[in-house]
Amino acid sequence: MDIAEAVAPGDPILVIDNVTKEFPGVVANDSVSIDVNRASIHCLLGENGAGKTTLADILYGVFRPDSGQIRLEGRPLDMASPGDAIAAGIGMVHQHFELVPPMSVIENVVIGTPARQWLDLTEARRRLEEFFADYDVEIDPDAEVGRLSVGEQQWVEIFKTLYFGVEILILDEPTAVLTPQGVTELFAILRRMRDDGLTIILITHKLKEVMDLSDRVTVLRRGRVVDTVATDDVDQLDLARMMVGRDVLLQVDKQRSEPGAPVLEADAIHVESDTGRGALKGLSLNVGAGEIVGVAGVSGNGQNALFDSVVGVRHPHSGTIRITGQDVTTAAPHKIARLGVACVPADRIAQGLMMDFSIKENLVLGNHRSSQFSRAGILNQSQIDAFAAESIESFEIKTPSADQVTRTLSGGNLQKIIMARELYGRPALILAHQPTRGLDIAASEYVRQRLVQERDRGAGVLLMSEDLDEIFQLADRIAVIFDGRIVAMIEPDATSLEEIGMHMAGAGAGAP
Amino acid sequence: MSERVDDTGGDERTDPADRNPLAMLFQGDGWRLERRLDTRPVHEMYATLAALVLTALIISLLVILVGVSPLDAFTSLYEGALGSREAGLETLVQATPLILTGLAAAVAFRSGVWNIGGEGQFFAGAIGTWWVYELLPGLPAPLLIIAMFVGAAVAGALWASAASVLLVRYGTNEILTTVMLNFVVLYILSWLLSGPWQSPKTPYFQTERMDEKTFLPRFIDDSRLHWGLLVALAAAVAVHLLTRRTGLGFELRAIGVNKRAAAYKGISVGRTVITVMAISGALAGIAGAGELLGLHHRLQLDIAEGLGFTGIIIALVARLHPAGVVVVAIAFGGLINGATNMQVGTGIPFALVQVIEGVALVFVLLAAVACRYRLKRTVRHG
Repeated sequence: MDIAEAVAPGDPILVIDNVTKEFPGVVANDSVSIDVNRASIHCLLGENGAGKTTLADILYGVFRPDSGQIRLEGRPLDMASPGDAIAAGIGMVHQHFELVPPMSVIENVVIGTPARQWLDLTEARRRLEEFFADYDVEIDPDAEVGRLSVGEQQWVEIFKTLYFGVEILILDEPTAVLTPQGVTELFAILRRMRDDGLTIILITHKLKEVMDLSDRVTVLRRGRVVDTVATDDVDQLDLARMMVGRDVLLQVDKQRSEPGAPVLEADAIHVESDTGRGALKGLSLNVGAGEIVGVAGVSGNGQNALFDSVVGVRHPHSGTIRITGQDVTTAAPHKIARLGVACVPADRIAQGLMMDFSIKENLVLGNHRSSQFSRAGILNQSQIDAFAAESIESFEIKTPSADQVTRTLSGGNLQKIIMARELYGRPALILAHQPTRGLDIAASEYVRQRLVQERDRGAGVLLMSEDLDEIFQLADRIAVIFDGRIVAMIEPDATSLEEIGMHMAGAGAGAP
Repeated sequence: MSERVDDTGGDERTDPADRNPLAMLFQGDGWRLERRLDTRPVHEMYATLAALVLTALIISLLVILVGVSPLDAFTSLYEGALGSREAGLETLVQATPLILTGLAAAVAFRSGVWNIGGEGQFFAGAIGTWWVYELLPGLPAPLLIIAMFVGAAVAGALWASAASVLLVRYGTNEILTTVMLNFVVLYILSWLLSGPWQSPKTPYFQTERMDEKTFLPRFIDDSRLHWGLLVALAAAVAVHLLTRRTGLGFELRAIGVNKRAAAYKGISVGRTVITVMAISGALAGIAGAGELLGLHHRLQLDIAEGLGFTGIIIALVARLHPAGVVVVAIAFGGLINGATNMQVGTGIPFALVQVIEGVALVFVLLAAVACRYRLKRTVRHG
């Protein structure tokens, strides 16, 4: 049972030997060499663009390296697809789940096993129940996956991978969707799996997770290995320095806020949702001018509905929303925007940008009918060009030209386009939903500082984030959202991560 | 720019182009396809050229199967299309309505609205033309012609709006409704031509011949080429300016690219869809007026003959660009004339036109996809 004892420590199961992978215009992995020890948890740490995911994709057979070699148990691997990787014993759980929501847990688990004439689930069920029992996971194998919580879905993903009998499990940013308690649970079970002999490679950009969980960590920067170290030998600041290549501030400077008149007043709003999840059930919330209200919560508790109903793309069926004193409960989005409401949506590609438009077109999107950018329905190209040039300079958007198609930019630059557009015209209220998700440290710092600057100018900011560190850094007040309601409103100085976590799980004081 | 290739929160993974089955095909042979972000016009040109060469090869094979020398077939095709001054002018006659129906499809597709009803809107336009003719017979010629074109545009727009209103209000699939409306308008026309508007002098389903003052002027005495071509070219310029220079054009392209983001930025998707469909229908309707006033001079059931459907193919082959629509429409016009000549000269059935159109469409669409990739040699290992 206890394989970990049977093997000598420092025995590499997987050797990445001098792997180089180029994409047009960028070397994603540059002579990367890493030894991954058997039955250990090995973190790949790096900012976005450091090459972590490319490396994982190479290990999982999605890409072939241009040069270099992957050796498993001393044997060179030549994989042309994820199927080959799984056959070799390497499995991967992606950040975005690859499950079929209307099918049951067990059906999802057996997807990908060789098809037979008749589908026999008895064997699968036995093994699955054994798995779940071994690791104290309580999921009904017959439950419909679409109805499971995100945390439970992640378990299905993990067991689906283990079902193929893999020896090496790659997890890509697995904690993004979990509560602090969920993360603790996940890590406890991952440790037990390691002790049972599984080798785990965890991709992350969160320093705390590396420190909590890993045995060894490889830091990547711009496609190169900075170093591979034993986790016990380093601290968070060391890792941050290795990641960024310079000293970093893990804090944002900000003064206490002086909230003014309310710019957003949501009073007992109910918003339905198509799936039944994520509806608002009588949410009330105020944001004053010159303050940042942070909304903490596990995704799927109504954040999207709150965002949408303030923007105006969905309307509450009861309750009222006022912006700068005006009732906008059923107003159209363009009318709401005219009151000075900026929106930075969670999914910047799907909700915020036209990826096939040029950068300058995205910079005026929504404001294109304003008197500055058009007259009598005809766009004023010279004004648009001037504004684009100004935005590219002041927001440090890295691009050869304003006519470049937006699709070619990195995540950080995409977010800067949105920020430049939304902060145009000095908005009274800024809705920011996960504004730093997927951004590297430098870009995140930038976005956060901008939000604080806007607050200091007098804008009210509603910040919804799943990154609790971000909420603690920026918020003047923290509102915890659970099941469509604000269940707690707390000053950040007067609370702890644990207390917020309890409220996020719906188990705070005063909850039923 | 460089960071784009690696992880940005995994968002790029959801891009279906990254999972292109074409790319999968090429994995693991020492060669592989890789996504390129910097598509250049030069690539598109070469790819389109390659598509046309491949089309010619496939057609040659078919021609050989029928037992005709491809050289004879293509010579005959060329002579019919461009071989003489008459042929060239007649090609432009054929191209005139195709430019308009092509623009109608292009403008709708550009905003992600699948208007397959160009054929029906063409007929609606022709009906509108005749109706104005019946209502205002006393108007002086230039005013009457303008009024008839306006009537055609309004009729086409209204007919298309039947589908767009259903789409916006009830989410009805516009592909189905526009196709079905094609049949409905044909039945309405059959009824009109067998009753109220039927010429009393003939047993056929047709109206009387229109007054000569309604005839569109011709450029030259000995050719059928009429001023409808000018209308079509003006429409192409107008569509180009509309999509590139105006707020409405910005919005119609926006909903074609990303409806969700458009809605978040205050663009009313419903209102834009209604407007776009009306414009699209109006263009097809104008094509109907042009054919009626320029060529047929009487309303019959066979005045469209698939012009609306060919417009769809033209729009797609032209990659929805107005200037491209003009070029492709002229090419297709030549094809139609050339094939007629080929049928006479070599016995190859005229239906080959549709085969050529279809094959060309498939290859041009493939070329568009191929432009987004490049073939890369990978170093062998293992």
